[in-house]
Amino acid sequence: MTRRSLLTAAFALILGALAPAILAAAADPAAVINNLGNRALEVLGKNATPAQRVARFHELFREDFDVPGIARFVLGRYWKTASPEQQDEFTKLFENYIALVYSSQLSAYSGETLKVTGSRADPEGAIVASEIIRPSGAPPVKVEWHLTDQHGTYKIRDVAVDGISMAVTQRSEFASVIQRNGGQVQGLIAMLREKTGNVSGR
Amino acid sequence: MNLRPVCLVFSNLVLLSALFLSGCATSPNNAQSEVVEAEDFNDPLEDANRAIFDFNQKVDRNVLVPVAKAYRTVLPEPVRDSLRDFLRNLRAPLIFVNNALQGDFELAGQTFARFTLNSTLGVGGLIDVAGRWGQLPYHEQDLGVTFGVWGIPEGPYLVVPVLGPSDPRDLVGQVGEGFGDPWNILVSGNPWTLYWIPYVRGGVSGIDQRSRYIETLSDIERTSLDYYATIRSLYRQRRAALIRGQRENLPPPASFSRNDNPTMAGRRPPQAAMVSEARIVSGISW
Repeated sequence: MTRRSLLTAAFALILGALAPAILAAAADPAAVINNLGNRALEVLGKNATPAQRVARFHELFREDFDVPGIARFVLGRYWKTASPEQQDEFTKLFENYIALVYSSQLSAYSGETLKVTGSRADPEGAIVASEIIRPSGAPPVKVEWHLTDQHGTYKIRDVAVDGISMAVTQRSEFASVIQRNGGQVQGLIAMLREKTGNVSGR
Repeated sequence: MNLRPVCLVFSNLVLLSALFLSGCATSPNNAQSEVVEAEDFNDPLEDANRAIFDFNQKVDRNVLVPVAKAYRTVLPEPVRDSLRDFLRNLRAPLIFVNNALQGDFELAGQTFARFTLNSTLGVGGLIDVAGRWGQLPYHEQDLGVTFGVWGIPEGPYLVVPVLGPSDPRDLVGQVGEGFGDPWNILVSGNPWTLYWIPYVRGGVSGIDQRSRYIETLSDIERTSLDYYATIRSLYRQRRAALIRGQRENLPPPASFSRNDNPTMAGRRPPQAAMVSEARIVSGISW
């Protein structure tokens, strides 16, 4: 598995250097991130209302992220204690919630660009290193994209900004919420329902 | 993202309350699952921490943020950046010592060059000449990270009144830096009329840092389900990443034992010697 993805990545890298145009497909992890960066810029560049932005990010998220995998990871050991209905509802709510979080954090966007600086194989797929270049000349922010190889298609499973993992942060936060609700996943689901209902409406 | 309003001086005052808190550390609930969870959070003092966090939030909302906003409105950006560069330059001696204690002579040399350039050409540090034109960017470094690089564990998560997220390792580091800071030592040897200087420095530095994260933090607060838990996770991950990053910067520990072939002993032999010395001095095994 590792060997195969390593080869895929190496092959993709060589191909990428030779003929970037051929590689519009999602076989190259770096291309996935480049592509995502470009499409995100497009969303941010347009004069869209906050609600439209959330909707567009929602689309990007569903296309490029391994949503079921992330949902399972962030719920941690509570995934198993949840009923199948709860798992389904949680996954849907989580998707909405993430779209909301990302678009809110990107609302302060002012001309930053994403530059892919490298990629390497990883037991689960690949890690793509990138930098967010800021027009103000401030030092770039390092962003690492962790991708999982799903039958030759790369999907994002985590984003780490300056060494801080989004998935780990969310898992820790969700575990805390569940614990404070007597260990019940339902408490988290109720809070997510309220949060996504309230804030996205604005 | 540095979430900690750094203000060296106040940390001396805060030490007592922290010692008090760690003194009444109680183990969490004994149920199996709770234990696992508690280890994940590393927060046995959660109830006290949450209470202090709430208090800090009130201080933040009612004092720090309004002051930080006023600071941002009154002073134009170049002035604020210049002030920040000046405050950063004051930290250079401490950063230099930390680079050396970590055995990173390359960074120590950069810090020294930055300090020299900025203090002279940069008019006492007001202009970051070295960062802008010398390709020597500023890097943050503190005693807490040094302790971490040495292998000292973080200890339980702490929320310190006004200063915010911390842990015993970082808190001791801050206090140590407060005492070791050359500028603090300089003014404490002078007539008592200069005593206010470190306090003003700490205050301005805290306000400047806060002013740079007004939107970021309010976004995180607005979208998170449990702001306390989010900040706790962000703080611990950030500190761990800084330490990990510094460790990766250093020559591998394996090179210490290969004294038979000094030229092959490591990429940077002097640093390796320095690190092993630091290990012996501090009595820490890796």
